[in-house]
Amino acid sequence: MKQPSALTRRHFLRAAAGFAGASLIGATPFRAFAQATDLAPPDRCFVFLYFGGGWDVLLGLDPRDPSVFTPERVSETRILPGYDLLSADGSFPEGLVVPTQRAGAAPPAMTFGPAIGRMADHYDKLAVVRGINMTTVAHEVGFRYFLTGKSPNGSAARGSSTATEIVGQLKPAVPVPSLAYGIESYNDRFPGYANALRVSRASDLILALKPSATTLDAEIEKQLVDLRGNPVRCESQLYDSRGLVTQYKDARTQMSSVLGNQLYRAFELDFEPGNAADPLVDVRNKERAAIRARYNLPDSGGVNYDAPSARAAMIAVALKKGISQCVSMNIVGGLDTHFGTQITHATNQRNGWNAVADMVDDLRSSPHPAGGTFLDHTTIMCFSEFSRTPLINGTGGRDHHISSSALLLGAGIKHNCVFGRAGDINMAPGLINRGTGEPDSKGSNILPEDLIATVLASAGLDYAITRTSPLKGLLAG
Amino acid sequence: MRSTSASCLLALLWVACSSQEPDALPAAARPAQLEPVPVDHPPIAALPDPELSGGHVGRAPRRLTTAQLKASIRVTTGRDWSQIDNLAASLGRADYALVNAEATETNLVFAKFLDDGAREVCLATADADLKQTDAALRILSREVPANLDLTAIDESTLQKNLTYLSIRFWGQPLTGDELASWSSTFKNIAVRAKAAKKPREAWGSICVALMTDARFVTY
Repeated sequence: MKQPSALTRRHFLRAAAGFAGASLIGATPFRAFAQATDLAPPDRCFVFLYFGGGWDVLLGLDPRDPSVFTPERVSETRILPGYDLLSADGSFPEGLVVPTQRAGAAPPAMTFGPAIGRMADHYDKLAVVRGINMTTVAHEVGFRYFLTGKSPNGSAARGSSTATEIVGQLKPAVPVPSLAYGIESYNDRFPGYANALRVSRASDLILALKPSATTLDAEIEKQLVDLRGNPVRCESQLYDSRGLVTQYKDARTQMSSVLGNQLYRAFELDFEPGNAADPLVDVRNKERAAIRARYNLPDSGGVNYDAPSARAAMIAVALKKGISQCVSMNIVGGLDTHFGTQITHATNQRNGWNAVADMVDDLRSSPHPAGGTFLDHTTIMCFSEFSRTPLINGTGGRDHHISSSALLLGAGIKHNCVFGRAGDINMAPGLINRGTGEPDSKGSNILPEDLIATVLASAGLDYAITRTSPLKGLLAG
Repeated sequence: MRSTSASCLLALLWVACSSQEPDALPAAARPAQLEPVPVDHPPIAALPDPELSGGHVGRAPRRLTTAQLKASIRVTTGRDWSQIDNLAASLGRADYALVNAEATETNLVFAKFLDDGAREVCLATADADLKQTDAALRILSREVPANLDLTAIDESTLQKNLTYLSIRFWGQPLTGDELASWSSTFKNIAVRAKAAKKPREAWGSICVALMTDARFVTY
């Protein structure tokens, strides 16, 4: 039988904080303060970054040499890099991007397309997976396939999101275990604690974490909390046999914890006016100024929280402050470019990569309490629902293509390597040796579930839900 | 005349008492008959024992969609939650451009936004009720006499009003210990609301509790 725990000094202080908080900031629910916890980053974190619309891998992760894949050979190769079409912009390289070797790191083992931006600088911490067979060219099917590691049923997702699976298995002691921003999230087998805090925009994220603007008297709040804590009747328990009501109650408990910790302040990046009653304003303003400088956010005039750079900054905040273990985010959109010029797509894709690069910079330069840097404790996966056709269509854009690439980065992943390969004719997905990543007529296609299994295995998690095995050649050590 | 009438009566009696079978009548003159419906479906089993079905029978409860929530708030309080359309995407509404399935997860965002919405709508409703002298037109205190001191409501009236509200918000009445618990909570709230000179928070906070209860948001 579980023995009631003894009251400790910590409990006493928390309770005292509850009373003080209730009287000082009447708006915040009484019990929220008592539930406030010390935030500590989990030992292992995960970031899933979705490039929305279907990216052009020729411009990023799977480039082709324009001097080999020339317009004259296009009937043979069915591939047209089109890098010369970016010259009108002037800010893109016209050929392959070879990363500059970092001090103390091995020479780069890969090249990138001209839209890779500053992400190429992190070649020493990443693995590029090429020639993934998405088996679909439908947007919602592709990204749901990558989110869950299970081929959707029609267009309906099957199973839980990978982030849900991770927090469901690890049960981290953080206030928002899984944060999903501008991206879907599913939970088909875990209790409510594994549900993501899912928002469609930054203002909703801050609103979800901020105490209500309409306040009740603190004592009345306490009465309501007590009322909700009363036991329910037998019929109610039977009604909740599938756990929906418990999930809702879990969400309300999580809400109290989040409001008590004033987490919204962590995600606000603008300058905060002085407040004599709050001595921490100066500290927060210094932190925010440093974040704005790192992520090239404006110092005045207001931060655009829905820009890729601000989104990336919020991911780093969520991990470094110990708010979340998994963050899934639509880091950039506007990639579904069937029409127009190559420059539009290249610009949007580069904005996404630059934002990711800033975040990786931040994580690899921030020490983790358990030793090493945050990047040493974080696995990042960048993906899109599919790629774009290797040929340019009649309206100057590219359509949907079944073969794609992905990028894995950070903890548990083999670094500075390319795994898999798309064919030199029409960039078709090919058969790959799962151990080496090299083409192999006796190998198999790389599918999204292979990558999800690899991500789960990289942290020693159960990957049975993927019904496949990890790509061993991608795992560190 | 008399003999003619007797003949007609005899003729009618003969027809009425004739032993002729219907089948002997011409087909057009026969009364229509329904063929008995064959019972060829399998026997209907009783609902399974919840103990043998993981503790549940029938369909699983569901969370209200954003549209259902909006309609439910309007029906129960007579007013709209002003922010619901702004927050609809995060509450789960599909846009049928990028998202083609309504999300009805009961997650933190839903719980927090509903809490915000309930406070806005309930306090506005309680405010309006305080100004309404005709009890029949009030929403939250329909059974309570006008201008009655919040702390002077008798137990019977209080329970009657709480029962009315629970049916209005959830479609099922508060009963037994639970009713007593809500009644006791209201009394505590009423004392505090009176002392703090925040009368709208008395029935307003009960409305918040009703609207943020799982019975309001699931069906």
